[in-house]
Amino acid sequence: MKRNLWYVVGGLMLLGFAGFSLMSFQQNLTPYVSFEQATSTPRMVQVMGGLQKGSTDYSTDDQALSFTILEPKSAKSLRVRYHGIRPGNFDDAISIVAIGRYDDTAKQFEASKLLVKCPSKYQGAEVKTYS
Amino acid sequence: MDALTHLYLPGAVAIWSALIFALAAVWGYSQVLRGDATALAFGRRAYACFAAAIGLTTLMLILVLLMRDFRVEYVFQYSGLDLPGHYQFASFWAGQKGSFLIWLFWGTVLGLFVQRTAGKSEAPVMVIYLATLLGLIFILVRENPFVMLAQSPLDGQGLNPLLQDDWMVIHPPIMFIGYAATAIPFAFAMASLWRRDFNGWAARAFPWALFGFLVLGCAILMGGYWAYKTLGWGGFWGWDPVENASLIPWLCLTVLVHGLHMERTRGRYRRANYVIAASAYLAVLYGTFLTRSGVLADFSVHSFVDLGISGWLIALMGTFVGLSIWLLATRLRQVPTEPNEDPMLSRGTFLVLATIAISVSALVITFGTSAPLLTRLRANPGQVGPEWYNLVNKPIAIVIAVLLTFLPYLTWKGDRFGALLKKMIVPAVAGTLIAVAFVAWKVHDALDIVLVLFAALALATNLHKVIAKWRAGGLRAAGGYLAHAGVGMMLLGILASSAYDESTKLTLEQGKPVVSGGRTFTFLRYLPPSAEERRDRMEIQVTEANGKQFSLFPRMFLNQRTQQLMVNPDIKKSLVSHLYISPLEYDPGRPQLELAKGQEGEVGDLKVKFVGFDLQAAGNALAQMASGETITIGAVLEVTRGGVTSPVKPLYQLNPANGQVTTPNLDLPGGGAIRVTGIDASAGNLRLEVEGLANPAKLAVDVTEKPLIEMVWIGLYLMLTGGAIAMLLRFRDARVLERVAERAALS
Repeated sequence: MKRNLWYVVGGLMLLGFAGFSLMSFQQNLTPYVSFEQATSTPRMVQVMGGLQKGSTDYSTDDQALSFTILEPKSAKSLRVRYHGIRPGNFDDAISIVAIGRYDDTAKQFEASKLLVKCPSKYQGAEVKTYS
Repeated sequence: MDALTHLYLPGAVAIWSALIFALAAVWGYSQVLRGDATALAFGRRAYACFAAAIGLTTLMLILVLLMRDFRVEYVFQYSGLDLPGHYQFASFWAGQKGSFLIWLFWGTVLGLFVQRTAGKSEAPVMVIYLATLLGLIFILVRENPFVMLAQSPLDGQGLNPLLQDDWMVIHPPIMFIGYAATAIPFAFAMASLWRRDFNGWAARAFPWALFGFLVLGCAILMGGYWAYKTLGWGGFWGWDPVENASLIPWLCLTVLVHGLHMERTRGRYRRANYVIAASAYLAVLYGTFLTRSGVLADFSVHSFVDLGISGWLIALMGTFVGLSIWLLATRLRQVPTEPNEDPMLSRGTFLVLATIAISVSALVITFGTSAPLLTRLRANPGQVGPEWYNLVNKPIAIVIAVLLTFLPYLTWKGDRFGALLKKMIVPAVAGTLIAVAFVAWKVHDALDIVLVLFAALALATNLHKVIAKWRAGGLRAAGGYLAHAGVGMMLLGILASSAYDESTKLTLEQGKPVVSGGRTFTFLRYLPPSAEERRDRMEIQVTEANGKQFSLFPRMFLNQRTQQLMVNPDIKKSLVSHLYISPLEYDPGRPQLELAKGQEGEVGDLKVKFVGFDLQAAGNALAQMASGETITIGAVLEVTRGGVTSPVKPLYQLNPANGQVTTPNLDLPGGGAIRVTGIDASAGNLRLEVEGLANPAKLAVDVTEKPLIEMVWIGLYLMLTGGAIAMLLRFRDARVLERVAERAALS
């Protein structure tokens, strides 16, 4: 009898852990969304777009990088702000993935992480992450 | 016949013959299973021929790479004239085709030893094992590495600069030995189920499981160390799909090693071991599918594209998943087992709990890595970041640390808690002291304190046991304890270095000291490439609070072929902590100007006007061009500073024989210098560079203090050394058992 009790306790602990993993999974999941969806949700999302040429603005002093990305499908644009040092060869990027959330008051996307894809002749594209 | 002319025939023929010999070996071994014992010799000979053919294929690819025969597409894609000799080997596994070939090569080599250690189960084991190799051969026959280009290019495209590193010459091949090795316990397990011969396989597969654990562990260690030392983002593990693809099989092998240990010593886990052995190999296939098929292209830091082999990879995975499920479903119930009667506080129970904990970790990581696939069904596929993996694996790490703390003193028969505590009093005090030191230092989070306490206890108790074993007669039986002490040490190192590191971003002006965290940082100079150092470096002088001084040399350079900006950190190492400096941005302090004829530009307090070219600056440039001598062109400029305009004429010299360009600096009146950096002949534009003005060179760096990171590496070394000791012991055991069985058969 005592043994069965332990099995129940162990099973419950596993179930609890599974629940905890799933819940935190839901919270940590950053879905790929369209620009339109990104601007209407307060949660962490990732957006992908091409860099608008000449839209980059970088201030070395407070290390803030601002740029505009264009969504290929909808031709919508999104202003992105990223705190941190500007990634090298940023201006050559063919596409940029920004992970973060939309700031409704500043009307711009606050990115906490950038994935910069640069044109490369190697298999696929060279991708670098900055956070 | 047209297709044949597009293949490098010696290599292609070697692959095709390998396929034929492999099929012949399968046929030979199957005849043995049908009862024709004489077919064994045929099967072995066919396998030897197959191995020779694979060896030849591999040699052919090495040869065309060494000869830099750019007609072969693979050589063209991954090699180049400027690639130093030993990196030609890195080109071998830089692409998909070559990495499948190296995997197949190691699989074939290991097969020669599997044959010898399989004993009387050789025929069924080799049939299954050859099936795993055939999957790779099919991929290589379709994606032939010996495809030729229609023309013959003069130079290749070069190797990805990230891979031009000594670690990348040895890390991937070792990883593929590990991948190949996971197929061995799989073959033993499946052959045992297939033939319903449930008894001998565990002893034979045990050393191979340890071998896979060891090799894959080494490969993961090297990959982590390479990332830490060269990539510059500061960590050694990023939970990237590619990394997880090797971690999951390794965790499965870890579980298998413990499961087989229990089967060998206690007769437990007899059914579970089949499932675990199968999952280790299937995890390799699944990881290969995830990382090679392009399904994660938008989610990974590493680069993947669909080579058009997704279908093959799915078929390969489907075949082996199907085979495993069928064998398990039809035969697992026939495996005899005994009911679990271990007392709660016993070695058996604790080992079972530990294997469950590691399995849960493997499952959770698999689930997270599959997130983009799982969420594909929804409108917006997503992924989870490193934070999630850290969050869910932390409780598991605590459970494992608790179990490891008591494991060395537990017996199979069961123990009393009081007696147990009495046995471990000395290490318990030592471990607690370590934990107290951590708390006094700066660990204050409750969960972290629990982890630190049990990791320190696990380290202390297991080391205690290692010392006791060593005194009692050598380290032979201490492999497991040594490995577990390593786990404790590694957990301490991981927690301290990743959760309690301190990082600051500094912008350093050349020559101007900046104080941060008690240290003074001065960016001294930029060092151009030299004979000893192939790549540009920055020298940063660091002065410790106690006055000690040293220089660090992080690198930041533009790869000439790809125009990719490359970054390498530099590390000041000591046993207690690492000082890690990674460059982020470099501004050489030399403003650039691009001017059309007649245009004026502004730099600092200077106004520069481009008047025109002077073709008579040093002899007639047109005549020089016609005769092939060095051409000298002058750029006529008007420089205005403080209201004074003066003419200057910097020179641009081109030697047509070797294409070398010389552009000397020309001093400006009032300080600074100007030089021509380029001439855009079609637009008639001139590019200029000005230096020595008020703006000095600036280097932005990320400075991180990583406490106790050395414990991660030392812990891993201990763990792998422990594994190696256990492996040697188990190979000997297996040999002894084989001999006993032979003698029994004779008498």
